[in-house]
Amino acid sequence: MSATGPRPTLFVRRRLRFLGLTPDDAIRAFFGGNAVVAVVVLALITYFLVREGAGFFGQNRRNLEVYRLAGLEFVDHLRAQEEAHTALTRRLSELRLKAFARLSAGTDGAEAAERALAVFDAYAERFGAAIDPLRALGSELAEVATGIKTKFMVNEDRKEERRQLIAEGKAGEAARVGVVPVDFAAEARPLLAARERHREVNRVLATELLALQAAPPAPPVPELRDLLERFGAEVRSYVAELPAIERRLETWDQAKPVAAGEALRAFLFGRQWLTASFWQDWYGLLPLLTGSLLVAGVALTLAVPLGVGAAIYVNQFASVREQRVVKPAIEFISAFPSVVLGFFGIAVLGEVLRQVSQLPWLAWVPGFPFSERLNVLTAGCLLALIAVPTIFTLAEDALNNVPRALPEASLALGASRLQTTLRIVFPAALSGIISAVLLGLGRVIGETMVVLLCAGNRIAIPDFTQGLGVMVEPVHTMTGIIAQEMGEVVRGSIHYRALFMVGLVLFLLSLAINFLAQRILRRYRLAPS
Amino acid sequence: MSAPTHRFTPRSGARRLREAVVVALFRAATYAVLLAGGGVFADILYKGSRTVFQAEAPFINTTFLFSSPESLHVFEWEGRRREMGDREFRAFREREPGAADVRAESFVYSAGGIWPCIAGTLLLVAGAMSLALAVGVSSAVYLSEYARDGRFIRFVRLAILNLAGVPSIVFGLFGFGMFVIFFGWNVSLIAGWFTLAFMVLPVVITASEEALKAVPQGLRAAALALGATRWQTIRTAVLPYALPGILTSSILGIARVAGETAPIMFTAAYVVRDRLPWEVERAVDFLFQGVMALPYHIYVVSSKIPQNEYTERVQYGTAFVFLLLVALVAAASILLRNRLRARLRW
Repeated sequence: MSATGPRPTLFVRRRLRFLGLTPDDAIRAFFGGNAVVAVVVLALITYFLVREGAGFFGQNRRNLEVYRLAGLEFVDHLRAQEEAHTALTRRLSELRLKAFARLSAGTDGAEAAERALAVFDAYAERFGAAIDPLRALGSELAEVATGIKTKFMVNEDRKEERRQLIAEGKAGEAARVGVVPVDFAAEARPLLAARERHREVNRVLATELLALQAAPPAPPVPELRDLLERFGAEVRSYVAELPAIERRLETWDQAKPVAAGEALRAFLFGRQWLTASFWQDWYGLLPLLTGSLLVAGVALTLAVPLGVGAAIYVNQFASVREQRVVKPAIEFISAFPSVVLGFFGIAVLGEVLRQVSQLPWLAWVPGFPFSERLNVLTAGCLLALIAVPTIFTLAEDALNNVPRALPEASLALGASRLQTTLRIVFPAALSGIISAVLLGLGRVIGETMVVLLCAGNRIAIPDFTQGLGVMVEPVHTMTGIIAQEMGEVVRGSIHYRALFMVGLVLFLLSLAINFLAQRILRRYRLAPS
Repeated sequence: MSAPTHRFTPRSGARRLREAVVVALFRAATYAVLLAGGGVFADILYKGSRTVFQAEAPFINTTFLFSSPESLHVFEWEGRRREMGDREFRAFREREPGAADVRAESFVYSAGGIWPCIAGTLLLVAGAMSLALAVGVSSAVYLSEYARDGRFIRFVRLAILNLAGVPSIVFGLFGFGMFVIFFGWNVSLIAGWFTLAFMVLPVVITASEEALKAVPQGLRAAALALGATRWQTIRTAVLPYALPGILTSSILGIARVAGETAPIMFTAAYVVRDRLPWEVERAVDFLFQGVMALPYHIYVVSSKIPQNEYTERVQYGTAFVFLLLVALVAAASILLRNRLRARLRW
């Protein structure tokens, strides 16, 4: 044998190389590039939400600064005092309503009830009228404050106009746009001067209210004595609060700078979302967040028992034939477009629920009867229908993944089917089921169209004092507000940026929920046998 | 001493009854869900079919399906209640001398049809799904065929999982910030395509990977043993067998793309547009035009116009057409997949 050089291997091929890459490497790189798209998209979402939203804090800080400089804050202290009094007056009318119901239910009828209440009415009227001087002062000062703010706004507009003219190279025209800086300290002098009058007004108010509470009318119905006494106590505490308000006005510092953290706090913990207001815009997340959570809570209360129950039934008890029908059917429900469900809520479900709530034998349910067609309950029911397929599918998977040996061992020991299911299979699948519920929560919180159409869209923190009855109040949600207001805002305005901030919160919330679900799934997973 | 009792002593009648009741409750939960879903479906199908179908030939209301939306005018004329769409009403007023100052109640979008919305939705779905399939399948090929489990791949998988949980309205905001404003595409078809494609990407990737994983390792090993390169293996021995699975599972993604409203609200959808999408002057304009879309139209007609007997027709009709489209796609996907799963047992 003559060995002439190494033997050629069978499969050597000449490889084209481009930039040092063989075609195979290039193909691999191409696929790898596509694989990172998901990462890139996540990064881009974060970037663009922050990019459009981050300016919010600076703008909101400025917004709050103007609120203080123009004296709106000062006037709002006064208004708070006025509103507290209005609340007291409302107490009186509630009292009257109760008394009237009692009296007119008696033998003499409505007319006699009116007569019996005449003294009480005179008293209530006098109580209501006591606030008039303060109200007059308040509206006078409000006008001053809005005047300052308007002046400032006009100036800002002029500045903007001038900037644009200069940018266009029209220096001459720009010079003609007059900009007079607002001297806030001087402008606010009438406000500060009014403090003296306010003290005077308060003194009169205090004597009047104290006199009134000292001599309450004889309660028209004996049962109302307690309530009337409690009312007297409230009036006393209201009067005791007055010096505190005076002190607040006294120490009010127009020039106090707004800290950077305050803009963030005003967003995250702000209790009002109020836009396009002539007085002051507020961008507080709390009403939207509570709305979202409330709707999600109602939806999950309905969806978890149904979804998990259905998963247990289908996985453990249903015959194969039943499984073959039920599983695709529930999966099919998940394909229902949410906007169609929302439409169904407006057109049918809202009205049906309202009718049901007015059935007399259902009056014990908290919140029933209600008159608003669109509320948390309507939206929650429809969202439950959206969440059920998610929870069902994932929970069924979790049950399926329980090693066969466990239920088999249990059954072999003589446990019944149900005992095995509830004490062996269910606990073994619990981590999967919890993560299924969490993912369902994520879906529900992120859902837009149903809440936009069916939740009632009232931007206020719902009244939790009525207990479970809160679930029939109309609310607005984080997703709903973005969908509703995004189309109407000016690009780059504070309102626009606030909506992006809400989106960012929503995004982070969904990431957190997802992360938690995966964490639970991974940590408590049974070792596969 | 008494006999040792153990936990699972034979059950008394009462106990057995209790078990039966609990199981019945689970069963009731299952059927309650189905009933609720079926109820919604039936209500919309029943009320919507009155708009879409008609008693005389051709039995389908072609005006509703194939014309543009118009305002509906309702008025009294010669003692009779008449309802007319915009064009008809105008012609009627010219024809009838006394009709010039007839007082009519008007309801926007309540006459005519929804053809531009159907066309817009089909275009949106087709474009978004093409993009999502291209990226998603490639991504899945990498994850299932090339990648070795490591920190980076785990990170990618985590990103995919998280992307699946991002709310659709956030995709809408993102699409608005990136495509509409930053890229300056305005409200356009192409902005909608990308937004929707990114949204459905996790679904496509997961579905494709599942299909690829279902192809037995033996095929790959055989191809590699014959001297094929990785790419040749994938092209000839893996993808062809995985493709049916990829496509059927991805149809479920189509249902999701078509069903979402929030992402297209600020990126692609117009409330109303006179011209159909293909009536453009230059070919480029095709990509950069906003379109009407069925889900957005449903939102508009159900929230912006009052509910009454005249508007109900278009509301239910639109919901019917949309639900049927989505439902057919979803049902086809589910059935096909189940069949495929049964057939493809390697």
